[in-house]
Amino acid sequence: MRFRALGEEGQRRLCASRVTICGCGALGTVLANHLARAGVGHIRVVDRDFIEIHNLQRQILFDEEDVASNLPKAEAAARKMRAINSSITVEAVVTDIDHTNILDLVADADLILDGTDNFETRYLINDAAVKLGKPWIFGGVIGSEGQTMTILPGKTPCLRCVVEDSPPPGMTPTCETAGVLGPAVSTIASFEAIEAIKILSGDFESLNRDLIMVDLWNWSFRQLKVAGLLGKVDCPTCRRREFDWLEGRMGSHTTTLCGRNAVQIATRRADKLDFAQLAAKLTGIGSVRHNDFMLRFETDGHEFTVFPDGRAIIKGTNDIARAKTLYAQYLGS
Amino acid sequence: MPLVRIPTPLRPHAGGNDSAQAEGSTVGEVLNALTSAYPDLRSRLFDGEDLRRFVNVYVNNEDIRFLEDLDTPVAAADEVSIIPAVAGG
Repeated sequence: MRFRALGEEGQRRLCASRVTICGCGALGTVLANHLARAGVGHIRVVDRDFIEIHNLQRQILFDEEDVASNLPKAEAAARKMRAINSSITVEAVVTDIDHTNILDLVADADLILDGTDNFETRYLINDAAVKLGKPWIFGGVIGSEGQTMTILPGKTPCLRCVVEDSPPPGMTPTCETAGVLGPAVSTIASFEAIEAIKILSGDFESLNRDLIMVDLWNWSFRQLKVAGLLGKVDCPTCRRREFDWLEGRMGSHTTTLCGRNAVQIATRRADKLDFAQLAAKLTGIGSVRHNDFMLRFETDGHEFTVFPDGRAIIKGTNDIARAKTLYAQYLGS
Repeated sequence: MPLVRIPTPLRPHAGGNDSAQAEGSTVGEVLNALTSAYPDLRSRLFDGEDLRRFVNVYVNNEDIRFLEDLDTPVAAADEVSIIPAVAGG
């Protein structure tokens, strides 16, 4: 409140605001922590996963006791947030965000925050945000590097203006294949949080209009100019208003394979996967072999059979949310 | 010669370098020169003659899609950056 740009009026607006944090892993816990302490009045935290011991290296709201209690991430985060600030309302939603539920999860929010780890969900958020005309903030991190961008539909380029397509599985590193450093996540999530505070307190003038890129290990900070893309690229989402993810035309379709303790994730990629490249990424994390028709990868009790079109059968679980997490972790969006 | 900044995931295909100088007076020429030196990089950046849709290229800090795409002129002191989308979190 003493910070002049925010002031009493800004703080009052924060207290009256509602946000939805999509995903409560590394980015999401840092966002949740900052926004709870800032006094954002209503925070909905949505996540499909349970906490695992290897999450604790970067997911700052969780501890070993939460792992032992088998708590879902959204619920554990909500408990911590209520303990941090009893004057706010925190809602935990344990669900897999998909095209059937996203509008319900974000319709009443003033702002949507990206705490996800995959582009499929980000394009879905982008569709929902553009359709509803709601601001959202993108963040992504890998290794010591991260990106963030603030999206005001109609006023700034949307995610799909800037990133026209997600890299195919194997073409991009994931946190599981390349590692990720806690401070890098905290930095990007903190950038998202400060932008959130500006938006919720009504200061749109001071927002970031660039694609921010940082590499903390090598001390580089770049502000890439993307504002000129608005209206210049023929964006299917914000210009043509084709909501491919929201309407279920894009994105994966999952099926539990009955009696096989397996889930099939069918993606809809036009381009074929490069198995040699994917295998190179996964070598060292588990056993991997491939021929022209399929790639098989085994790690940690799960067996992935991946097909050239990106479809995968993940054995070792019949939980769709878990399978989608594993897909994002090892194969990428 | 313009300097091309190579992102972490592509460095294994560019001799481990984080940047390389490449001859050319447009972005397209510079990237052609670079991928002649590192042929492995070609298929990761291009689909035929076009840049892959998940690869963005900047001259200094400007996205080439609102300049002149691969025909964007570059001077010797310019920096060309290949920027991939960062997925994790």
